[in-house]
Amino acid sequence: MHEMSLVQGLIDQLVSLAAEHDKNKILTVTVDIGPLSGVAIDSFQFAFDILSKENSLTNGASLTIINSPATYRCVQCGYEESASVRPDQCLKCKESLLIPEGGDAITLNQVELE
Amino acid sequence: MCDSCGCDLTHTHTHDHDHDHKHTHNSQVIEVHKNLLAANDALAAGNRAHFDAKGIVAINLISSPGSGKTTLLEKTIERLKGSIRIGVIEGDIETDRDAQRIRAKGVPVIQLTTGGACHLDAGQIHKGFHLLEHEPGGDQLDILFIENVGNLVCPATFDLGEHQRVVLVSVPEGPDKPSKYPKAFISSQVFVISKTDLLPYFDFPVAEAKADALHLNPRLQVMDLSSTTGEGFDAWIEYLTSLHSKNQQTAA
Repeated sequence: MHEMSLVQGLIDQLVSLAAEHDKNKILTVTVDIGPLSGVAIDSFQFAFDILSKENSLTNGASLTIINSPATYRCVQCGYEESASVRPDQCLKCKESLLIPEGGDAITLNQVELE
Repeated sequence: MCDSCGCDLTHTHTHDHDHDHKHTHNSQVIEVHKNLLAANDALAAGNRAHFDAKGIVAINLISSPGSGKTTLLEKTIERLKGSIRIGVIEGDIETDRDAQRIRAKGVPVIQLTTGGACHLDAGQIHKGFHLLEHEPGGDQLDILFIENVGNLVCPATFDLGEHQRVVLVSVPEGPDKPSKYPKAFISSQVFVISKTDLLPYFDFPVAEAKADALHLNPRLQVMDLSSTTGEGFDAWIEYLTSLHSKNQQTAA
């Protein structure tokens, strides 16, 4: 359940953003959770539902989670494929060893405040 | 007073705009694109720079509870005594039992108890390392081992500032751990299969586990060993000594 600490970090960031822009309400939050980030999306949403209520600034805010794909590079031919789920083999040469690149970030993309 | 429009209502007003005076609440959209782990990652980068400045190689050990991390460390300390100076930061939810075991081997150690948290983070390592520096011998180290909280899931997400991440799976746990817990294997440099002395009693196809792990991360260095019998331990010691000598060359 490290999602709880991640969401607490998110809420801290939202609080600083609101202070920075002199706003007092967070309306919507968009977070990109990569398929290799090791974060369970349901647990993240659950933690957000609970922790956002604790703060008047974030209470009622809606969370949108997007899931940008990772890139898999073939060790043989170098072909790169974007995918949310690891491909079994290279589309071009059928090699099964693919090196994952990216897809491991948890990024706060966009915030709507008023 | 409401900051957006100057109306005299406090924040208890709802946003259905049923009050009759004319105004609009202007919302603003901000593009942030900032990693949620940015705070942790910044602290981790600070830790790494500090380790570099002191000529230390830091190794983060990750595994399920009971995979043999502490025993591996005990045997490693015995083998490297007199040639490589080792320090250890122990992470557990409760108790300092692991630290006591390491202390008994005569190397500086600090126990961090997370009090329930399922992983160590870079901030804890920052504090823990400063405490370790005040232990006898703690200011003169070649290799720092960080034994993470026993958990194959959460620790994988948090960079501690280590140079190398080593993931362990013991034979009784079964060979399917890489496929089930991919993040730990994708983010590690080394995969150690431990307790190989138990292979006769468990169904653990070593080749299959290795292939699964390499399928996830072709760059993984895989070794299998038994801390009890010492079988396969030479490869592990060689890995550590070569890390140490490379680090000394860089520093020189």
